[in-house]
Amino acid sequence: MLDFFTIFSKGGIVLWCFQGTGVTESFTGPVNALIRSVILQERSGNNSYSHDALSLKYKLDNEFELVFVVGFQKILTLTYVDKFIDDVQLHFRDRYKNELEQKGALALLNSHFAFEDDFKMLLREAEESSKARGPTSMRSFNASLKSQKTVKSMIETKGGDKGKEQGGKKNKNAKKEAPAAEPVKGEKAKAPTSAQKTEENGNQGLTQEEIIQKKREEFIRKRMGAPVEKPSKSPKPVKEKPKGKEKRVWTLGGSSTKELDYSQSNGNGAHAAGDQGLDAQADPGMQLSSMKGDLLAVDYESSEGEEEEEEEEDAVERVVVADTSKKIPKKGAFGGMFGMLKGLVGSKSLSQEDMEPVLDKMRDHLIAKNVAAEIASQLCDSVAKKLEGKVMGTFTTVASTVKGALQDSLVQILQPKRRVDILRDVLEARSQRRPFVITFCGVNGVGKSTNLAKISFWLIENGFTVLIAACDTFRAGAVEQLRTHQRRLNSLHPPQDHGGRPIVQLYEKGYGKDAAGIAMEAIAYARNQAFDVVLVDTAGRMQDNTPLMTALAKLIAVNMPDLVLFVGEALVGNEAVDQLVKFNQALADHSMSDKPRLIDGIVLTKFDTIDDKVGAAISMTYITGQPIVFVGTGQTYNDLRSLNARAVVGALMKA
Amino acid sequence: MEDNIDVEAGENPFQPYLDALRKQLEHQDPIFIIGIIISLAVVVISFVLLKYFLSSKTVQSAVLLVGLCDSGKTLLFSRLLSGKFKKTQTSITDSSAPYKAKNEKGSSWTLIDLPGHDSLRPQYVEKFKSAARAIVFVVDSAIFQKEVRDVAEFLYFLLTDSAVSRNVPSLIVACNKQDITMAKSAKLIQQQLEKEMNTLRVTRSAALGTQDGSARSSVHLGKKGKDFEFSQLPMKVEFLECSARGSKGENGQADIGSLEKSLANL
Repeated sequence: MLDFFTIFSKGGIVLWCFQGTGVTESFTGPVNALIRSVILQERSGNNSYSHDALSLKYKLDNEFELVFVVGFQKILTLTYVDKFIDDVQLHFRDRYKNELEQKGALALLNSHFAFEDDFKMLLREAEESSKARGPTSMRSFNASLKSQKTVKSMIETKGGDKGKEQGGKKNKNAKKEAPAAEPVKGEKAKAPTSAQKTEENGNQGLTQEEIIQKKREEFIRKRMGAPVEKPSKSPKPVKEKPKGKEKRVWTLGGSSTKELDYSQSNGNGAHAAGDQGLDAQADPGMQLSSMKGDLLAVDYESSEGEEEEEEEEDAVERVVVADTSKKIPKKGAFGGMFGMLKGLVGSKSLSQEDMEPVLDKMRDHLIAKNVAAEIASQLCDSVAKKLEGKVMGTFTTVASTVKGALQDSLVQILQPKRRVDILRDVLEARSQRRPFVITFCGVNGVGKSTNLAKISFWLIENGFTVLIAACDTFRAGAVEQLRTHQRRLNSLHPPQDHGGRPIVQLYEKGYGKDAAGIAMEAIAYARNQAFDVVLVDTAGRMQDNTPLMTALAKLIAVNMPDLVLFVGEALVGNEAVDQLVKFNQALADHSMSDKPRLIDGIVLTKFDTIDDKVGAAISMTYITGQPIVFVGTGQTYNDLRSLNARAVVGALMKA
Repeated sequence: MEDNIDVEAGENPFQPYLDALRKQLEHQDPIFIIGIIISLAVVVISFVLLKYFLSSKTVQSAVLLVGLCDSGKTLLFSRLLSGKFKKTQTSITDSSAPYKAKNEKGSSWTLIDLPGHDSLRPQYVEKFKSAARAIVFVVDSAIFQKEVRDVAEFLYFLLTDSAVSRNVPSLIVACNKQDITMAKSAKLIQQQLEKEMNTLRVTRSAALGTQDGSARSSVHLGKKGKDFEFSQLPMKVEFLECSARGSKGENGQADIGSLEKSLANL
């Protein structure tokens, strides 16, 4: 039932492979996809991966640098696969220990691994063990608990009969503790142990007198109004009678229909504006004179806040206690000291327990450096998987090995997975006589327009003509801001130097229009006028705002820009993950084609405001897998840089 | 000792220790003092020698197999070393093995196969570049047209690297996958690469600086003012064709005769 199973070295040579009967396609493609998207992107915390119709599970052997991969159809749920891989790994290692231990690839190349028979035997064992546990047979009615309940007890009646219900159940379970003294005990005495009385009806247990007695008790109870002994050890709270439906009150609905009439305020707003083009901004929902007087505080319930604080403190104390209790057994023994020395000299293989304290410390360190929390934990899991079973050399401590591996992974994540050379791509587009379109998207206030101006300065310094498309038709002053930048850039590079033609032009259609339409017209204009680059500025939008995200996705799907850049600020913390995931999701959902345009690159802005808390770079590249194309380090035109992966990782790992 | 005298606060506690030390030294035999000095000198000399040897472990005795992902490096590695065909996957780490060249001297050096994936490439090149006496740059001739810009960028990055331009290892560009009918010839690949490197010289030098202001490599390839040609480079560059898979597929021999000859001439 397996489609294939391969064993290959980390250097790329396939040592042994098995292809299931009837499987004709080569497995090289799926396995390569697994390597590229999981292992190389440091997502190996979770050990399964799905590619088209196949589901792939893998295991890394870090001591001998091997990878074991098994593939099977996604629709099958095979329960024995995990254990099977482990068995195969152990078996293979034991059998070919000699060849594998030799350093250098010659041994791997020259030896022939005849593993088929062992593999078939292991597979047979695994399949049989999964079949051995047959389907669990259902319990017969007699054996179930339900048969032991009395029918009468299961009939729900209102009020105090719950007591009787409890009693009825307890009747049959002799193992439960003796309840408080009550008249119900009488019937218990009558009924013998539960095991024998399985088909007894509740009615038979209660004689006529006892029923009368019980009802008398109830009557007295209700008269007195005092709670008598609770009928059972787990008193069911008597439900309050529902009072009947209450009228629901909406918070924003107001109390009368007069409040919901907004026609007056809208009319006032239109007259007061006077300018054409600006009245489109008057929100129909905005109420004039609602901001009179002091500003209201942000509303939150203070009592809840206090409760939460108390809970947090408790949680912190509990965590602290747990930590100290964990530390104590490690510190105490003298054997611990000796073990540390032993760990320094001689080769020992790393296990999960050895790495755990170091990894926890590294995870906290990363989080302190502003890496998103879930990214930090995924990274640490992946590093643990990569190092498990690895043999350390002499004089290397666990901490140094783990730190080295983490550093390598971080550099690997920050390295771009494709070529990043904007100027070369612009030249290519120019040779094809079409403009190179770059779109900037992001949430509010991250620096899209500022960095757009910086990038256009860089491009015109290198001799390209730029058209800026003002597709931010919502924010007041967005078009004027871009016009100011255009004027400044043109004064820095006057048209006289470039053949009498202004090197930067602005394409705008005012406020309130459809952004996608403006972008399309701008690109057509650029093609006609032979501009080299079109920079499209969009309005900032929160990732949760569905209509705005739909509008952005439409702009990108319709215009098919060459580069979609997500602008994110370096100050963002855990929010980065949410922003990027939702942006990518929106772009994928609303695109019509089967190859949707997703975010192609990241612009990391406000880099000068963080000292060495550079974790946002890691979060963003890890989530999208796309490179950081530009880094903004200030507000003047010269403050544009490219990313140096080593420097960022150095700043991250610095104590 | 002077530092202690400067720190006024520390003068009093340190003074008695200094006196005691001085008295002890004076009391000792002069031979003992000479012995101390000699042992210190030995330690210092051994330290210096150790550093010298450790740093010169980068004796250039390795030939690197580099190239883009899926260009056929690992299969070429296997063919060169053992002549066998092996199925391969994307390499995650490097592989190295001693190789016996097919020349009269029978010299042997290390052949190292580096992973070609974009996120691993820079790290491994960084690790091994100083040990390289020759670089075999493997190119996938069949899909070269689509990848020409990526190939050229990697080659540019290699050639402008400070360690490479200092050691000047010889460069062999192996145009692999010649068994596919659409494969481009070595001459064509050379011309295309020269054109591309010409453009890259301009765009790369205009690229943005990094955010920490570290200096970019200022090696200028070829001659200023003239179009770039591989003959202008200080190192020996050779273009040749080969096919790791071989015309008969898995069971036959690989067509790597010219490659083996070039390797023998190193």
